[in-house]
Amino acid sequence: MGIITISREFGSGGETIAHFVADKTGFVLVNKDTILKGLAEHGIEVPNPDQEDLGATEGKKGQEEQYIEAMHDFIYDLAIRNDLVILGRGGSILFRDYPPALHVRVIAQFTERVRRVMRAYGLASETAVRLVKEKDRGKILYLRQVFNANWNNLRLYDLVLNTEKMVLEDAADLIITAYRIHAEPREVKDGPPLGEMEDRVFIPPAEAEADQFMHPSEEEFAHMLDFYRIRWQYEPRTFFLEWDSEGNVVEAFSPDFYLPDQDLFIELTTQKPRQAWKKNRKIRRMKELYPDISIRLIDKRGFESLLKKHSIDQDQGEEDDN
Amino acid sequence: MKDQKPYEDNQLKILFTQEQIEEKIGELGKKISADFAGLELILVGVLRGSIYFLVDLTRKMRIPFAIDFISISHYSEQADSTGVVRIIKDLDLSIADKHVLVVEDIVDTGLSLGYLLRNLKSRKPASLKVCTLVNVEARRIVEVPVDYKGFDVPNVFVVGYGLDYNEKYRNLQFIAQFDRP
Repeated sequence: MGIITISREFGSGGETIAHFVADKTGFVLVNKDTILKGLAEHGIEVPNPDQEDLGATEGKKGQEEQYIEAMHDFIYDLAIRNDLVILGRGGSILFRDYPPALHVRVIAQFTERVRRVMRAYGLASETAVRLVKEKDRGKILYLRQVFNANWNNLRLYDLVLNTEKMVLEDAADLIITAYRIHAEPREVKDGPPLGEMEDRVFIPPAEAEADQFMHPSEEEFAHMLDFYRIRWQYEPRTFFLEWDSEGNVVEAFSPDFYLPDQDLFIELTTQKPRQAWKKNRKIRRMKELYPDISIRLIDKRGFESLLKKHSIDQDQGEEDDN
Repeated sequence: MKDQKPYEDNQLKILFTQEQIEEKIGELGKKISADFAGLELILVGVLRGSIYFLVDLTRKMRIPFAIDFISISHYSEQADSTGVVRIIKDLDLSIADKHVLVVEDIVDTGLSLGYLLRNLKSRKPASLKVCTLVNVEARRIVEVPVDYKGFDVPNVFVVGYGLDYNEKYRNLQFIAQFDRP
C-alpha cells in the first residue's frame, strides 16, 4: 500500500493538489466525500455531515466516537487494498507508524488564503476571513479531540509546501517526486538516523507560531527552557496506548515537550491532583508500553515551584482535561 | 507591617534541625577534605543562597582552598519572558587547571546548575564537582551530577539555612518545609 497524506490550511490549494497527485499517480483519493459514500454503503450515517470539527461538538458523543472509529476502520481497510492519497482526517497520525507513507502539509499566508477563498467562492473579504478562521479552527479541534494532537505541530509532516509562489500542479509534482524518493528503499541511507534529524529541525521559539501552544503554562515552560538555553521540541511524538480488538488505535498520548539533549519527554499538568488522574494513568500506561522512553510529569505544585516568584496566574490558567 | 511578622509561624514545619545540619556538614567537610587532599581546590559559592552553607562547610574542612563566588540570573526574577540566563557576578579567580567544587544550597530542576556547569566547564578546570546541602531529585528536569549532598528532600518547598522565600527565612538555623500562602 502506498500512502500520501495531505493536510492543508484552508485556502492553501491543498485539495486541488491532492486531486492532481491522485490523478498523476493513480492513487485513490480519500476525502470527505469518499468517506461519506463508503460509510453510507456500510449503513453508517454521519452524525452531522456539515460539521468540519467532528468530535468537537457537545453531546451525541457516543455516536460521534462510533463514527470516527468506523471512519478509521474504513481508511485502514481501504489502505490494505489500495494506494491512497488521504486528504485531511488526521491521515499523518493514522499512518504515522507506517514508514513508507509520506506526510505533507500545504500552507500559505493567511492573507493569500483569504484572497484565494474570496476568488474561488465569490465572497466578500469579511466573510472569507471568517470562513478561513473557522475552517482552520475546525481542523485544530478535530486533531485535538480525535487524536489529542496539535494540528500546528509541523513535525507531524515529512514535507511542508508553501503554495504562495507555486503553481498547484508543480506542488503536486514535487509531492510525487518526494514520495518516490521517500518510499523507495535505498541501500545506503544518507545522513544521521531519524532521531538526530528531528533535532535539526528544531524551530527556535521566536520563529514558532504564537498559537503553537495549547496552554499558557506550556508557553511559559518553553520560555523557561529557552532562558536556560535548553533545546526543546513541542509535542514531537505521539505514543499509541490502546488498541481495539481489530488493532485500531483508540488511545494515544503526545507528551508536551521533548528535550533532545536529555532524551527526555515532559508532560506538564496544572490540574489539581484530583483532576490529573487521567493524565497519570496515561503516563503509567506509557511507561509500561515504552519502558525505554524517559518521561517526567511536572505537576501543579512542581510547576508553581518552577515559577516561584513569577507572575503567571495559575488559577486563571488552569487547563481543561485532555 | 506584614513582612515584619516573626518567623515562628505555622507555615513552617521543621525538616532538619540545627544539630542534624551541623552533623551532616561535618561529614561532608571530612569527605571533601579527604577527596581533595593535595589538590589545588577552589570552592565556588553560588550566590546568594549558598553563603551560610559555604561558611560552615569550610570551617569543617582541614585542607587549604580558595573561595570565589558566582551569581547567575534566574528565570523567576526577570521582568519579561524573553531573556536568557547570564552571569551577573563572575568569578574573580581563574579556574583553569584547578579543581573546582561548586557549592549550592539547593539543586532541584538542575536548570540553573546545568547552565553553570556548562559555563564553568568551558574554562577547562582540572575537575568540576558539585556539593549541595539540599537535593530535590523529584523536581529534576536536567540531569546534573551531584557529587556531595547533605539532604534529600521530596517535592516540597523548603526555606532556612540560606534558602529563602522572597528573600525571607534565609537566616533560620534549621531547614523547614514552607507552605506558601
